[in-house]
Amino acid sequence: MPSTILGKRIKRKEDPRLIQGRGHYVDDIKLDGMLHMAFARSIHAHARIKSVNVAAARSSPGVVDVITGEEIKGKLGLVPCAAGIEGLKVPDHPCLATGKVCYVGEPIAAVVATDRYLARDAADKIEVDYEPLPVVTDPEKALQAGSTVIHPELGDNVAFVARLEGGDWKAVESDSSLKVIKQRLINQRLAPASMETRGVVAHYSPGEETLTVWSSTQIPHILKTQLALMLGIDEPHCRVIAPEVGGGFGSKLNLYGEEGVACYASRKLGKPVKWIESRRENLLATVHGRDQINDVEVYVQPDGKVVGLKCWIIADLGAYHQLLTPAIPTLTALMILGCYHIKNVFVETKGVFTNKMATDAYRGAGRPEATYVIERVMDMVARELNMDAADLRMKNFPSPDEFPLDLPTGVTYDTANYQKTLKRLLKISGYSRLRKEQEKLRKQGKYLGLGLSTYVEICAMGPSSRMPAGGWEFGAVKVEPTGKVMVLSGTSPHGQGEETTFAQIAADVLGIPFDDVTVYHGDTFQVPMGIGTFGSRTTAVGGTAIHNAAMQIRKKMARIASHKLGVKPGELIFSEGKIHTRDGAKSMGFAEVAAEAIFAKQLPEGIEPGLAAHSFFEPSNYTFPFGAHLAVTEVDAETGEIKLRNYYAVDDCGRVINPMLVDGQIHGGLAQGIGQALWESHVYDENGQLMTGTLMDYAVPKAHQFPWFETETMETKTPINPLGAKGVGEAGTIGSTPAIVNAVVDALRPLGVRHLDMPLQPEKVWRILKQHATA
Amino acid sequence: MGNDRLSQAPCRNILKGTVKFEGSHTIPVPREIAWRELMNPQTLARALPGCEKFEANPAGGFDVVLKIGIASLKGVYQGHVEIQEPNPPQSYRMKVEGKGTGGFLKGEGVLSLMESAGNTTINYSGDAQVGGPIAGIGQRLVQAAARQIIQQFFQSLANVIQGSR
Amino acid sequence: MIPEPFEYHIPKNLEEASRLLAQFGGEGKILAGGHSLVPMMKLRLAAPKHLIDLGRLTDLKYIRESDGRIEIGALTTHFQIQSSSLLKEKCPLLPETAREIGDVQVRNKGTIGGSLAHSDPAADWPAAILALAGEIQARNVSSSRWIPASEFFVDLLTTALGGDEVLTAIRVPVAPPRSGHAYLKLHHPASGYAMVGVAAQVLLNEARHIESASVGVTGVGPKAYRATAVEEALRGKAPSRQNLEAAAAHAAEGIDVNSDLYASAEYRSHLAQVYTRRALEKALERAHGK
Repeated sequence: MPSTILGKRIKRKEDPRLIQGRGHYVDDIKLDGMLHMAFARSIHAHARIKSVNVAAARSSPGVVDVITGEEIKGKLGLVPCAAGIEGLKVPDHPCLATGKVCYVGEPIAAVVATDRYLARDAADKIEVDYEPLPVVTDPEKALQAGSTVIHPELGDNVAFVARLEGGDWKAVESDSSLKVIKQRLINQRLAPASMETRGVVAHYSPGEETLTVWSSTQIPHILKTQLALMLGIDEPHCRVIAPEVGGGFGSKLNLYGEEGVACYASRKLGKPVKWIESRRENLLATVHGRDQINDVEVYVQPDGKVVGLKCWIIADLGAYHQLLTPAIPTLTALMILGCYHIKNVFVETKGVFTNKMATDAYRGAGRPEATYVIERVMDMVARELNMDAADLRMKNFPSPDEFPLDLPTGVTYDTANYQKTLKRLLKISGYSRLRKEQEKLRKQGKYLGLGLSTYVEICAMGPSSRMPAGGWEFGAVKVEPTGKVMVLSGTSPHGQGEETTFAQIAADVLGIPFDDVTVYHGDTFQVPMGIGTFGSRTTAVGGTAIHNAAMQIRKKMARIASHKLGVKPGELIFSEGKIHTRDGAKSMGFAEVAAEAIFAKQLPEGIEPGLAAHSFFEPSNYTFPFGAHLAVTEVDAETGEIKLRNYYAVDDCGRVINPMLVDGQIHGGLAQGIGQALWESHVYDENGQLMTGTLMDYAVPKAHQFPWFETETMETKTPINPLGAKGVGEAGTIGSTPAIVNAVVDALRPLGVRHLDMPLQPEKVWRILKQHATA
Repeated sequence: MGNDRLSQAPCRNILKGTVKFEGSHTIPVPREIAWRELMNPQTLARALPGCEKFEANPAGGFDVVLKIGIASLKGVYQGHVEIQEPNPPQSYRMKVEGKGTGGFLKGEGVLSLMESAGNTTINYSGDAQVGGPIAGIGQRLVQAAARQIIQQFFQSLANVIQGSR
Repeated sequence: MIPEPFEYHIPKNLEEASRLLAQFGGEGKILAGGHSLVPMMKLRLAAPKHLIDLGRLTDLKYIRESDGRIEIGALTTHFQIQSSSLLKEKCPLLPETAREIGDVQVRNKGTIGGSLAHSDPAADWPAAILALAGEIQARNVSSSRWIPASEFFVDLLTTALGGDEVLTAIRVPVAPPRSGHAYLKLHHPASGYAMVGVAAQVLLNEARHIESASVGVTGVGPKAYRATAVEEALRGKAPSRQNLEAAAAHAAEGIDVNSDLYASAEYRSHLAQVYTRRALEKALERAHGK
């Protein structure tokens, strides 16, 4: 029977409260006697701290305490790193610096005061005496002999070197018929810049010895474990609540020193302590994204078949590891082959320390970098062989019947039909007509460019064997005596709308109205276990756990109803709030059966009372959503300005639960991916000073800068979970960046331009135009 | 094309993290006098915009407090000034270091004096580095502000010298 | 993003505002829409000890025509100017400029008077007011004067307003027949300020040659300026592409051109020339249409 609710455009359950400003974010939490915290941060990128004088801050109005790195030494654990990489060097990363600072913005001391303003004023009065040290911001310079070493105890600035190799390179390298194309690509540093900055309220109750923490986080359960360890508190005494969270994009998949210090201060002072990050701190000291140099070499047959790819990755990790810092570039290596069946691969990834803020997960987390490499390369190959970019891609796609497909990178792609999405894209965009238009405009000296990107990403993270701290997810379903249903999820959605998706999943299984389901998540005292929301896993893994728990409920209710109605459980159908036989002759209300189960007057033998079930879903593999994008750009021949004229996207994220939410994810993702290509860049100067420290300097993309996106979805279901859903949270960001760059390079092809590094600021383009004009 | 990380950046020198400044000003006094005044803490204190303190310190330099203000942009900086390589009455090198709530600034420049027809032309060139909040938040305005302050300094220096004669 | 402490004052009338301003000397600052000053305060780049909020002085919110001139109250928001039908008819350069300012929220709160008094080197209004040869009214406790736009913008963030003067109104001439206007701008991708903004107002003579052209440029130097060399080069000329191009080549002449992460001085100078020519072309096209 086709579902009545899955695949439907249902408006988000969370929107009425959110768009009316009635949600509660961390900053809305107000507790009796609550104190406020502000940080003094390093203004040097690398310096010894000779002294920290807090006397003036201490005597500043309203100040209750000033906490320094020296004070917390041995009393508050280090900022954790969970990445499991062989031979990884992990420098000590205290919550507050002692002895030295390694990046601008590193917290040095915390002021706790009776209000936020007084705390800030006092923090400015902390005097730090620095002895500046040589600064290294360029990861390649950090690798050179004689470079200043940021953590001398680790020997050099190399945090790790990881190699991934597959295929028969001897054969490839001895084949003289192959063409070799080389290119260096830069994937610049970005700021995640979520709408809500970080924030925490820590409340230690000395009587109960419990610590309750409200945090703007994507991973409340992991945060709870880590904070318990950091503070030496028994984990059952520790509760983390993620209230409404206004976006994270991966930057809140972390535990930050500031959170540790807030908890420490609350325990020390016996009062709740709040810290709300300012936008300036957010740009400075919340993890950054990307920042890789990719030297790529590709081996191609004369017919366009790509047979081998080598890539040397230099990943700028910043000064310290945050939770997953070194793991992110290893995902680049894993996905470097994109959606092409390339039989030989070699990737060397070097993680390098520099005097900058740590990089870590940012929407896509390693996969946008991989997609950028492979999709730029495919365009270069097409150009080198004078083939159409679409034809070349078609030539290198594996056929749909080759799935599941083992790649030499060691991953197995679940299902795909890359030909289908690309063909559809070419059709809806009028690709061949656009090519003709381009021809015509070129003759008039106008620059129109078409940029393709056919991507595949790795989602639904993931099997526990491949994840640092479990890759399963928890879901629970409870039916109340009134027949209303409560769903609990161990994921922690922060804007994606899964209260809606999860309600659809539960309502579908139980045949009840969508409005009868209420979803809760984010509170570790309410949801017993969980992993969190990241890696496009929430629906595919978390949604499946809910689906499985609901199936258990359904089975039990069917048995109870069959007992009452005198039919076999298998004859019963759950629909429209009723449990009935196919012909409708025998029927009970959903709430009626729930009451039977809970009041337990006449239960069939062997059936326990109550109506609650949970499931831990462990996926057997990742999922691999894919899609095909086309950007159409115009370049202003006089100024180099780039106009994005059209954008077409055909995405396949497996089973679609709610098309409206999928659209939302795609649109937002596109904006972020296009933002990287055209505008965004988080820039440090050579002294390690962050130059893009406000949103007047750092160019977050804005709605008015985009044309309407023409989007379509296709559904190639995954066998990895019973829903068939693959995940869509990062797809738009992953697919769009290379499409834009390919389009601009294509526009400038008559000028002999082969590559341009991002962001594609008009001046770069103008310089090329000018060079060409004078040549 | 595109192999150098910085080559495509619009403004490579900006990434160096320094603000370059150079220029010249002519003041209507002979070079000997201009030199004397440029070495005179009292003159400098009067010419420096917003100078609240300019005192000789035991290290041979000067301790300085500047209240820098351009319209609504304001900051108080404390620091020191050192005069190096004095070559009277032709040139000297000036090193300035200061810090305030806006961050820190460090600068170094060479002043050289040329006389012609009773007037002295002071040529200056050097660079300054700013760090801390001001480096990341004032990008749009800091350079222009620095240039304006230097302009103001020489303008008022000329006025002070003329006034004291 | 928390400002330093300050005292907040809400004067009930202009006299009180002027008096407070005079009383606090350099430590007082007028707050109009707050969209230039407040961000500076939050970054602690600006730290006035006293903020004098003009919010109650609603009689400074008006757009009216008298004696062939348009007068606009200082507290008129960008959006009010953008949507004024009087201005669309009588001085269309102003609504066209307003449309390019910031975003919807900024246009709803920010005021023309506040923007002019702040005189950000990349703000939009200075270019338009210069091109229109407008005048700016300044009042203190005892007197009132009109300052020509050409004398108003003194230097970076510095205007001809006296320490005790409040900017109260702007007036510009009504656009004459056979005139045309244009404001063209390249937005900074982050701040939305002008990397280059050019306001052009042209007047054709009966022979359809350029009687006069005035060009205001913002975002290029430490303050907005009139590109007088461009204007001179066009006087009496036929509006041909060559003439416009030759004239526009002077757009950044003699200017200490800004450079930042998004545009070097060289590129900005080039943009100034291209945007000047395009603004003139558009303005002339409109003048021809009348």
